[in-house]
Amino acid sequence: MAKTYDVLIIGSGAAGGMAAWVLARAGASCLMLDAGPLIDYDKQRVMKPVYDLPYRGFGKPGRFPHVTQASEFDANLWADEKQNPYSYDKSDPFYWVRIRAVGGKTLRWGRASWRLSDHVFKAKDHDGFGDNWPIGYRDLAPFYDRVEPMIHVMGRNEGLPQMPDGNIQIDESPDSESVKRFIAACRKRDIPTTKSRRATGTLASSTNLLLPAALESGNLTLTPNAVVREITIDPATGLANGAVFVDRRSKNEYEVKARVVVLGASTLESCRILLNSKSTRFAQGLGNSSGTLGQYLFDQFYVKNVVTAVVPEARGGKGGRGLMGGGGYVPRFRNLQRNDRKFLRGYAWDFGGGFTPSPRYLPLYGEELLKEMNELQGTGFSLTTMGEALPRKENFVRIQPDVKDEWGIPSLHITQKYGDNEYAMAKDSMETASELCTDAGFQVIAAHSQMVPPGESIHELGTVRMGADPKSSVLNGWNQSHDVRNLFVVDGSSFVCGGVQNPTLTILALSMRASEYILDQRRKGAL
Amino acid sequence: MKRRRLLQSIAALPALPAAAQTAPAPAPEFPKLAETAADAVGQPRGRLFGRDQMAALEKLADLLMPKAGDRPGAVEAGAPAFLDFLIGESNAARRKLYQDGLDRLNSESARLYSKPFRDASATEAKAILAPLAAKWTYAPPADPFARFLKEVKDDLMQATINSRVYAAAVSRRSRSAAGMGAYWLPLD
Ligand SMILES: Cc1cc2nc3c(=O)[nH]c(=O)nc-3n(C[C@H](O)[C@H](O)[C@H](O)COP(=O)(O)OP(=O)(O)OC[C@H]3O[C@@H](n4cnc5c(N)ncnc54)[C@H](O)[C@@H]3O)c2cc1C
Repeated sequence: MAKTYDVLIIGSGAAGGMAAWVLARAGASCLMLDAGPLIDYDKQRVMKPVYDLPYRGFGKPGRFPHVTQASEFDANLWADEKQNPYSYDKSDPFYWVRIRAVGGKTLRWGRASWRLSDHVFKAKDHDGFGDNWPIGYRDLAPFYDRVEPMIHVMGRNEGLPQMPDGNIQIDESPDSESVKRFIAACRKRDIPTTKSRRATGTLASSTNLLLPAALESGNLTLTPNAVVREITIDPATGLANGAVFVDRRSKNEYEVKARVVVLGASTLESCRILLNSKSTRFAQGLGNSSGTLGQYLFDQFYVKNVVTAVVPEARGGKGGRGLMGGGGYVPRFRNLQRNDRKFLRGYAWDFGGGFTPSPRYLPLYGEELLKEMNELQGTGFSLTTMGEALPRKENFVRIQPDVKDEWGIPSLHITQKYGDNEYAMAKDSMETASELCTDAGFQVIAAHSQMVPPGESIHELGTVRMGADPKSSVLNGWNQSHDVRNLFVVDGSSFVCGGVQNPTLTILALSMRASEYILDQRRKGAL
Repeated sequence: MKRRRLLQSIAALPALPAAAQTAPAPAPEFPKLAETAADAVGQPRGRLFGRDQMAALEKLADLLMPKAGDRPGAVEAGAPAFLDFLIGESNAARRKLYQDGLDRLNSESARLYSKPFRDASATEAKAILAPLAAKWTYAPPADPFARFLKEVKDDLMQATINSRVYAAAVSRRSRSAAGMGAYWLPLD
């Protein structure tokens, strides 16, 4: 008879990794299942020159139609789209970016780490749209305080209500002249700026920051290559009692048992597992008495390189470190006090300079182009917009029973469209960024407001959302299922709305908070 | 890869013969043998483009990404032959864009100058390549020929910069190995 674990954790990325870190170290016996292999960095990677790759760095045509981040160097790391199919309506593509390996997407994340504020948690109070989270900044702040040092976040505290200060290492690095000029242009319009805020270290993944300590406790059993198909329910109690998984390589099926189930397989995979976990009691998917499971999918929209400019004084190799290089971040500044725009909510920018602008922006070719490229070496300055996409019921996922993955598990059909609000915001961001660059004395060579397709920002959120009302949400304020009290969903699927901030720091804080709640409830005998 | 081996492989030089080494070390039981990649020893055979299309692409390569000083251009980098392979592997829409685009270069040249694009002078070619002088827009141009020209410009540049001969030229100049990256082997 197989062991019954205290806690089954599904997924080993930010969400699952943090749950294991809290629960195993506190003495709970944990089993962690992850669909992907355990990576040995030394064996898995070799240094190669680009010309020795079969496609000279272009990548195999058609291999990753939806993962623009994949390069020929790291193509083998991303989830194979043929083994892991999904679909969307042809007119509304969704770019689902996945890594199936122990550590999940934290093996590759960009590490930008910002706190959410009550402009997000209580967004409805500000503008009347959507729903508030059932928790507020005060609930999560103590957990942010603890997570930031764990992942070694560095940045600057500016005392901005929309971008709360962190318990972080302070970045004292000086700004280059071009960055100072941009900051001065922002200041004239009361637009705040700050340094980027990022996790530091060679690798900032759950595989080096969370899982080692959890394993060291002796209480975590880590099983890679275990593709979870469904969470099982005890028909007598209606409580979750384990899961069924398929071995990735042999395709053999297994059952495991646990007293508590923590789901952290990433936003859409967690939702998919719940939708696929049907029983007589939960015919529409596990924990779906509200009927909202799968709904309110959103992300952050990106306008990559919304403006690309040239710093004229840097032309002809005169850039150098003092003038060019470095960058920063513009926190959300629209609609904070009043809603005085044609759109709700707002956007942020990442900005930076010192690169050579792409030749595709220049209406030249041949020697003329090469000459101009030489002139433009290191002169580029650009901004990328990250905007809040509104959570809407009409953006949702559902199961496609007849399209199955390599392991026979029904796949997702994803519907997410940007609406007028996102389009208006993207346009405003382009116009304002162009004006700021011009004010700073830069020469704008390209500007556009074309958002990347939904999903491409890799910040997909919602679908298993929290809420105070069990009739319109799946989880309560502790990431706990309203319907099944020993089931917790601790990843980005639980978000009610997402602001403009990259979500992982919040996922880590939510997972830590939920895991400590599980410990507390177990101590009280409530779980 | 060690720097010496890297430079050897860039230049496609054979490994030093054992006799040239001063004190030959005993051969390890599991030796790492020096290897040379296919494109350093062979000429790729044509795949997709017909003779006239290839001739137009070669000419285009020379016009768009010419040799500059000791930096090889697209022709020296074998970019046209590489694109013949890459586009041959691509989907039908991309193959068509390229093939129609190359045909159009020839038909425009025939219409304007009564000769194939290959034989057009740089000034004559400029009129045909006029869409490349258009201002950048995010959305690709609606006209497929203009779209082809934008794409082939990017592709020829990247295929050149990512080539073995280009890396060799850059390494000679700056003593740094160009285009190295951590390659992920297939996950088991
Ligand atoms: C290139 C890139 C840049 C990014 N940059 C940033 C950034 O700067 N800041 C930021 O905040 N975020 C960033 N992100 C997003 C960030 O990586 C994710 O928000 C974060 O990893 C989410 O954590 P997670 O645990 O929910 O999911 P993941 O990290 O994806 O982990 C989920 C795990 O679940 C496993 N799994 C999935 N399905 C199953 C199943 N059926 N059974 C068992 N296991 C399963 C997967 O194998 C995976 O290991 C970036 C992501 C990428 C790829």
